[in-house]
Amino acid sequence: MDTSATMTLNQDDTVEAAPLAPPGDLAVWFFILAELLVFAVFFIAYAVARTHDVALFAVMQQTLDPDAGALNTVLLVSSSWCVARAVLAVDGARLRTGARWLLAALACGGGFLLVKGLEYADKFAEGIGLSTNTFYMFYLSLTFFHFMHVVLGMLVLAVLWHGVRRGHYRRGRLSGLESGAVYWHMVDLVWLVLFPLVYVLH
Amino acid sequence: MQYQSQAVAKPYFIAAIGLFVGQILFGLIMGLQYVVGDFLFPEIPFNVARMVHTNLLIVWLLFGFMGAAYYMIPEEAETELHSPKLAIAMFWIFLVAGALTIVGYLTVPYATLAELTGNDLLETMGREFLEQPLITKVGIVVVALAFLFNISMTVLKGRKTSIALVLLLGLWGLAVFFLFSFYNPSNPVLDKYFWWWVVHLWVEGVWELILGALLAFVLIKVTGVDREVIEKWLYVIITLTLITGIIGTGHHYFWIGTPEYWQWWGSIFSALEPIPFFAMTVFAFNMVNRRRREHPNKAATLWALGTGVMAFLGAGVWGFLHTLAPVNYYTHGSQITAAHGHMAFYGAYVMVVLCIISYAMPVLRGRAANSNKAQVMEMWSFWLMTIAMVFITLFLTAAGILQVWLQRFSDTPMSFMATQDQISLFYWMREWTGVVFLIGLVVYIASFFVKGETRAAA
Amino acid sequence: MSGTFTKSMARNVFYGGTVFFILLFLALTFDSMATLPKRDNRQNLTEEVVAGKKLWEVNNCIGCHTLLGEGAYFAPELGNVYVRRGPEFIKAWIKSQPTGAPGRRQMPQFNFSDEELDQMVAFLKYMSEINTNDWPPNVEG
Repeated sequence: MDTSATMTLNQDDTVEAAPLAPPGDLAVWFFILAELLVFAVFFIAYAVARTHDVALFAVMQQTLDPDAGALNTVLLVSSSWCVARAVLAVDGARLRTGARWLLAALACGGGFLLVKGLEYADKFAEGIGLSTNTFYMFYLSLTFFHFMHVVLGMLVLAVLWHGVRRGHYRRGRLSGLESGAVYWHMVDLVWLVLFPLVYVLH
Repeated sequence: MQYQSQAVAKPYFIAAIGLFVGQILFGLIMGLQYVVGDFLFPEIPFNVARMVHTNLLIVWLLFGFMGAAYYMIPEEAETELHSPKLAIAMFWIFLVAGALTIVGYLTVPYATLAELTGNDLLETMGREFLEQPLITKVGIVVVALAFLFNISMTVLKGRKTSIALVLLLGLWGLAVFFLFSFYNPSNPVLDKYFWWWVVHLWVEGVWELILGALLAFVLIKVTGVDREVIEKWLYVIITLTLITGIIGTGHHYFWIGTPEYWQWWGSIFSALEPIPFFAMTVFAFNMVNRRRREHPNKAATLWALGTGVMAFLGAGVWGFLHTLAPVNYYTHGSQITAAHGHMAFYGAYVMVVLCIISYAMPVLRGRAANSNKAQVMEMWSFWLMTIAMVFITLFLTAAGILQVWLQRFSDTPMSFMATQDQISLFYWMREWTGVVFLIGLVVYIASFFVKGETRAAA
Repeated sequence: MSGTFTKSMARNVFYGGTVFFILLFLALTFDSMATLPKRDNRQNLTEEVVAGKKLWEVNNCIGCHTLLGEGAYFAPELGNVYVRRGPEFIKAWIKSQPTGAPGRRQMPQFNFSDEELDQMVAFLKYMSEINTNDWPPNVEG
């Protein structure tokens, strides 16, 4: 995020407004705000439901695989880092490097989907679904909702990758790239709350 | 009027207002039947009055939407309408079909009507808001398709503005989701599940796109704010609308046999549904404050601001009041629902249609705005109807709270009818407020006939 | 603000977000359809029940009553009327309408045959056996 902020400074000469300007397009920030709000309410609902049945949640959390969750955390954080490197590279007119960083980010995202998919397969094989119990309702709802965000984020990254290779972005014209990047960081950020909340905290 | 073919909007608007009067009259009949149970029985039983009341509402709003589209699209696309003749033909078909349907409701027992109109071929009748005979439903689809063809062709050959595209998307969505009214599985839970795909995905989905487009159009005209600015905010607002509204359908899936998780999904998403309405209010006031011209049509500006505020109150606040599953467990299907339904429909859809009529009708009659005298009268009608609706909502809410308390929450619950007797005072107050609403409507119509000095349309 | 805010990005977000939430809604619908057989009492969906549903529809019962809380709010909830009143009461009630009591709300006479009365009762019984997450809160509906 810091790196992106500096870049906005670079592309903008007006001294007074620049430090406040968010990277990327404001329209994306509205979307991110709305999405974070949905997740926030979902997390609060989880917390409320948990206080009503602490025992169930404690037992059911044991059935999750924290290693898979941890691995996925590493994958998403890495991919966020890759995306940030990509923005920096494109800002420095190193387009091919930027495209490669985006590919790396996509690979990490793909890894996340794979790990999560294996976790799901495991649970579905046991016949677990949204209606199994309150804990699994939340576990599946939250993670699947997030899962879909990862898929959407990867689609965005793929479009950005294509755009970088076509030379659509350069210093002073980074808004589209930054918009996709902040969206991806949001997907990452949500997981950083989701993982401890659902997998770890007892 | 910039384009000759915009004139086809005029009969649509007139029909809309005419049917609106019918809707309110039947509303008053029903309101009275709530307290004088045998009023007009057996000539007009309550279920018939209600069917006429709700169906007229839907039909006149559709007339309003179509009129709005015929007015807006040529101006947005900067070209004449593809076929004004088709538009006029469809007007008469829709009006006659609508009138025949209402006459059918009023003159023939519903079961006979069903038999006469081929309900046995494909059973679609007898579901709330979708009571129309099969033949009427088919007619609606035909008219809608001809209408969509007409305006889509116009947009295709002309300028493609965001407002036009959003309006088209909303209207196409309206037609597509209406198709679910032909799906009536014998399994009642499935029936109810997909019934909401018409009802909810209309009023909390695609209709809101239409609402947004209409409002944005009027705001551009009366404020002179840059189209670019208004259109990008339009996109932001309708994004928020659909993010919350689509999954928000879940707030109807709490108690109809659908899985329990909808209580969470429905509550969470619909809890956020007030946000787009709030954004719309802020947006409308902001644009008016940043206006670059003083448009002579003050009444239209008032309707535009009123739409924002009342939609937020009716759909946003009153919706939120009972949308969380633990609350809805007690309030579901009570007068609270009725209270919300009235203010939401008035605030969002009635007002936005009256807003576009208020803006467009003077232009269609060859002037930029009505005379000051006429506008003052129209503004009186705005306040009469709006304040009456606020009080109707408040009385129904009071009735609903009492009903929930006596019939649902109490340790010794009262029966439905015993409860109704207890709350009849609120029903009386609602009925008198309804009379005030009718007076407002009469004043509204009278304002069209007030003469006075006007400026010719630019 | 010096940050960018473009219409094209707002439009892309709108389309992307809309498609996203439609897909999510379809996914939830898919799961609902798979779960419904355990909840919606479909094993008891006999021809008699289906005939009762049709009677319910062509007489526009929803125009006054609610059914699982949906409909008009003029007359009692009927989703649980089978539990509240029992089959014989329901039939006797329908047959004796309208009461003609002055000033009271009136229900029309539908002239049902005995067979039709049984169908209506079968339909109302079916409705009362749907898993509605314990709604209504009590038997009064």
